[in-house]
Amino acid sequence: MNVTIQEQDGNMVAILAGNLDTAAAVETEKAMSPLYDVVGKNIIIDCTDLAYISSAGLRIFLGILQTTQEKGGHVYIKGINDNVRAIFAITGFSNIFEFV
Amino acid sequence: MKTIIAYIRRKLSVRVSLWVVFFAAIIFNMALGFLFYQAREAVYQEAVNRAMQILDKTSLRVDSILNRVEVASNMTRWLVQRHPDRADSMFVYSRGMLANNPDFFNCSIAFEPYYFKDKGRYFSAYTKHVGDTLRTTQGGSDHYQYFYTDWYLMPQLLDRPCWTEPYVDLDVATNTSEMLTSYCQTIKNSEGKVIGVLNVSLSISWLSQTISSIKPYPNSYSIMIGRGGTYFVHPDTTKISRQTIFTQTMEQPDTAMAALGYAMQSGEEGMKLMTLHGEDCYVFYKPLGQTGCSMAIVCPESDIFGGFDRLRNSVRTIVLVGLLLMLYLFIRIITRELKPLRRLADEAETIASGQFDASLPDFQRIDEIGQLSHSFSNMQQSLVRYIEELKNTTAQKASIERDLRIASAIQMGMLPENFPTKDDHDDVVLYASLTPAKEVGGDLFDFYFRDEKLFFCIGDVSGKGVPASLFMAVTRSTFRTVSEHESMPDRIVTTMNRVIADMNKTHMFVTLFVGVLDLPTGRLYYCNAGHDAPLLVGAGVGMLSCDSNIPVGFLPTWKYSLQEAHIFTGTTILLFTDGLTEAMDGDNNQFQMERVNDVATRALADQQQGPNELIARMTDAVHEFVGDAEQSDDLTMMAIQYIRQQHDVLMRKSLVLPNDTQEVPRLNAFVEEICESLGFDADTISSVKVAVEEAVVNVMKYAYPAGQHGDVTVEAASNDLRLKFTIIDSGKPFDPTVQTPVNTTLPAQERSAGGLGIHIIRQKMDSINYERIDNLNVLTLRKKIVKPEQSEKIQS
Repeated sequence: MNVTIQEQDGNMVAILAGNLDTAAAVETEKAMSPLYDVVGKNIIIDCTDLAYISSAGLRIFLGILQTTQEKGGHVYIKGINDNVRAIFAITGFSNIFEFV
Repeated sequence: MKTIIAYIRRKLSVRVSLWVVFFAAIIFNMALGFLFYQAREAVYQEAVNRAMQILDKTSLRVDSILNRVEVASNMTRWLVQRHPDRADSMFVYSRGMLANNPDFFNCSIAFEPYYFKDKGRYFSAYTKHVGDTLRTTQGGSDHYQYFYTDWYLMPQLLDRPCWTEPYVDLDVATNTSEMLTSYCQTIKNSEGKVIGVLNVSLSISWLSQTISSIKPYPNSYSIMIGRGGTYFVHPDTTKISRQTIFTQTMEQPDTAMAALGYAMQSGEEGMKLMTLHGEDCYVFYKPLGQTGCSMAIVCPESDIFGGFDRLRNSVRTIVLVGLLLMLYLFIRIITRELKPLRRLADEAETIASGQFDASLPDFQRIDEIGQLSHSFSNMQQSLVRYIEELKNTTAQKASIERDLRIASAIQMGMLPENFPTKDDHDDVVLYASLTPAKEVGGDLFDFYFRDEKLFFCIGDVSGKGVPASLFMAVTRSTFRTVSEHESMPDRIVTTMNRVIADMNKTHMFVTLFVGVLDLPTGRLYYCNAGHDAPLLVGAGVGMLSCDSNIPVGFLPTWKYSLQEAHIFTGTTILLFTDGLTEAMDGDNNQFQMERVNDVATRALADQQQGPNELIARMTDAVHEFVGDAEQSDDLTMMAIQYIRQQHDVLMRKSLVLPNDTQEVPRLNAFVEEICESLGFDADTISSVKVAVEEAVVNVMKYAYPAGQHGDVTVEAASNDLRLKFTIIDSGKPFDPTVQTPVNTTLPAQERSAGGLGIHIIRQKMDSINYERIDNLNVLTLRKKIVKPEQSEKIQS
């Protein structure tokens, strides 16, 4: 599981690659912790290479979303595959996240 | 005739008048009848007395005439016997006799032949009335040899004076004849030798006139007969001396006439009623002195009672006219008196036709009709008021009925409508029916599938109607709510009981049977709270044994017991309420458990123990039994047939992991390998992987206390149809299937991360099932195996 965070066009972009299972969740959350501190910028989570996600991963996504929205920012999801999109759909996450 | 009767039936006045006149007629009839009877008796007695008096008078009169004849005769005889030798004196005596007795017809003093030598063979001093003068002649001659006449011979033969039978006396001088009867006695000389006969005659016609001049009635007449029955006096003069009273009876027998003849002949006195010339007559008869004659007065009955009959007819006519007049007056009077009633009837008709505000006539009368009018007016006002109230009540009732219909629809809507069939369930089929006795009832049944368990219940609330239905609704929703979080029937019922008993102010209760059928295994967990034990129809027919628990709603603290049974494939569980066993026919006989058993046994014998067939048969049997009787109680049946076929296990693998989430990649690899071996596509593999991961991570995180090591066993098995993962741990009892489901529609800020795992499992797998077996938590996840060709079909 790889997490890359970079600033791009004034947005914070997190690029996730690999399987975000429960085992990987602890590390991933740690890697994505800078996103909790972002102020005045929108966050884009690039899931193009995210192959798999479980509820542990969703918990991280929800945490980031709630923190960012409190600060008036937006969290965008970019390029998710069908498998992950299905998980988003059944959990209602498709309704609370914005997609680009 | 029919129209007259119909008219009388329609007219009260005519009817009442007819009755009054009818009774008046009866009374008149009886009174007049009695009066007439008495009067007739009096008239009759009067007639008898009168006739008898007349008869006596006549008899006396005749007697006196006869006496006079006899006295005169004796006197003359004395004279003749004193001077028997003076022939000329005889003319003087004879003449003197008639001169002194003008009503005598003639008198002759006849002597023996040659008694007076100078007078020749014949000498008879004969005197007779001719007009107003007397003619005295010598009577005997060759042409009239008087020695041979009756009157001359009879006194000599009898040697005493006597009256002759009537005979005709021919007067040669005037050539007239006269019917006579003569009193004759012998004249004797001093030696006692008969020298002649003194004869004094009376004219029968004169006598007859004397007798018949006495007429008590205009049409009455007298008859007189001699010793031999010869008529002396009779209105028909042709009969006189020619016929006897018996002549007629010879031609045609007439015993009454004969009897009268004999009675008169033998000198009797009396009265007879007889028919003469076709007329009823009273005949009064009496002998006439010593003459041997008898006289009778014939009085036609019509004469005697003529006056009486006229009076009677007059009275009858008067009464009849009076009654008719009375009838007419009564009808007029009653009609006039009842006229207001007629108007009242018309007004009532108007009111009856729906015009309740029609004005009623005010009769200003204080009699019954006035009272009726008054009452009617009150009734009309009340009627208007009641109609108004009735309208309101009807509207309310309609509203209540509408509400009831809606309530019924709601209640029926609460009951599951879609019953699982073989098409959508390969492990269980179910059918149920509920027929409330009223619009809404107190019976309930419910079932639903959660994971691989069939939750079902059947119940019967005490009482019927709306209260029972409300209680039923509460019970049913409590069942749903409670069973969402409890999988064991005893705990479901205990909780339901606590909830329901706490709020049960009306002391109602519900008998309840709650069952949970574990579909993969056929294990049935159940709890019976005072309900009828279900019937098991499989290898045979038998009752499911049930503990005796109290019904729900009594004691909030009651702990209900759990029971367990194994249901074999093909067995049907028949649940029912007492509306089945206590269904009543017209004679209040109950259907009873024996019949339920019989129907089930026959169904089993016919291989018809499927839920639909069994319930249909039971329903038919109940309908046949009950017949036309009204349904007495709600009738509910639910049949559940377990039909799962066990499939051969094709694959079985297992993995034991410690309670460390870092072991998840191993798990995922294990799952992925199995899925690939079954030929699942990437999406399905991913779905199964995430579901199993969520289930296992759940155990890893929560089954054991923090920091304590524990194992999680993941078993994978598959047959033709399904892939099954069984996740087993020995941690604290924990049923993830009863956790509150997440709400996936909340906005981001209100979402929580909890509960997502179980939600994902439910969505991704076909079933999830939790059981606590032997202190182990056993969670089973199943996924149907979709063959590539099937999936292609679905996609196309």
